[in-house]
Amino acid sequence: MLARLVSPFQEFGLFAGAIYCVDRILQRLSPRLRLQFYELLEQPIPEEPLLPPRFAGSFELREIRAGAPELARMPARPEIKSSRFRQNAICLAAFQKDEFVGHIWFCFRAYQEDEVRCTFLLPDAKHSAFDFDLYLFPEHRMGLGFVAIWNAANEFLRDRGVRCSYSRLTRFNLPSRRAHLRLGARCIGRMFVLQLAKLECTLATLPPYVHVSCGERDRTQLKLRASRSVPESPRGSLAGQQAG
Amino acid sequence: METAMSELQILSQYIRDETGYEGELAADLDLLEKHILDSFNIVQWAMFIQAEFQIELEAEELVRDNLSSLSRVMALIDSKRAAAAKPN
Repeated sequence: MLARLVSPFQEFGLFAGAIYCVDRILQRLSPRLRLQFYELLEQPIPEEPLLPPRFAGSFELREIRAGAPELARMPARPEIKSSRFRQNAICLAAFQKDEFVGHIWFCFRAYQEDEVRCTFLLPDAKHSAFDFDLYLFPEHRMGLGFVAIWNAANEFLRDRGVRCSYSRLTRFNLPSRRAHLRLGARCIGRMFVLQLAKLECTLATLPPYVHVSCGERDRTQLKLRASRSVPESPRGSLAGQQAG
Repeated sequence: METAMSELQILSQYIRDETGYEGELAADLDLLEKHILDSFNIVQWAMFIQAEFQIELEAEELVRDNLSSLSRVMALIDSKRAAAAKPN
């Protein structure tokens, strides 16, 4: 019992652990009560590939459009996927020998979040993107799949002139957080959203800092800020000089 | 007198050097389940194995079944060597 109580604090630290406990208590009271804790990340798009060509070559990235059969295999709810296409999101799916490995989504200019009522406004429409819902089918986890998707996605983004990709991660998804940090991401802000049925109270470290929403049409417009230290041409990482 | 490291020791040493892991590294320990290795380490590990053991790995071989433990990696290396030794 004590171990269960202490474990969130050990895993997430004192502050995040406390937020996690409050969220769990709220969820127990009602599924319509939540306290979300997000980190806003900025990830440079490297010039160099993450995978050597020999490994990267076995993967193919294709854009999935509305109505494509692959959409049915994606875990997000159908109405969520439709809303993504309505906001001009791009879905890229990775295949290995025609087998669907996983996918990633991108938005440009702005991204309308579907978990909370927030629209993330990108700082530099020409050179930035917002990535979300990176998913790998279980049989492809702990292989090359994750790195292969980012390797191909980086190439896609570089070709469009994108230098940075932004994302929001729940603070409690530690594997995803670790993975983003390994890709060079850094935290540029934090955001807390208290969901009390239809009421949503947002507190963020970025403008507008505080927002209260009472309905679907009233969304927080959160302005993401580029960190001043983003390099013009970020270097690659994993494959390094051994790529070839 | 120095003795040559066994291949298993070479792999263990690489993992310790790369990840800083200091616990016991049994041959059957699941390195992925224990979060000693992750998707990123796998790429570098595969390149190390290719260079150290003079074998060529295919992307399709870099999957959990082949990489989750030292013994599985040794089995993969052995199978690659056996395949390479077979006359065409």
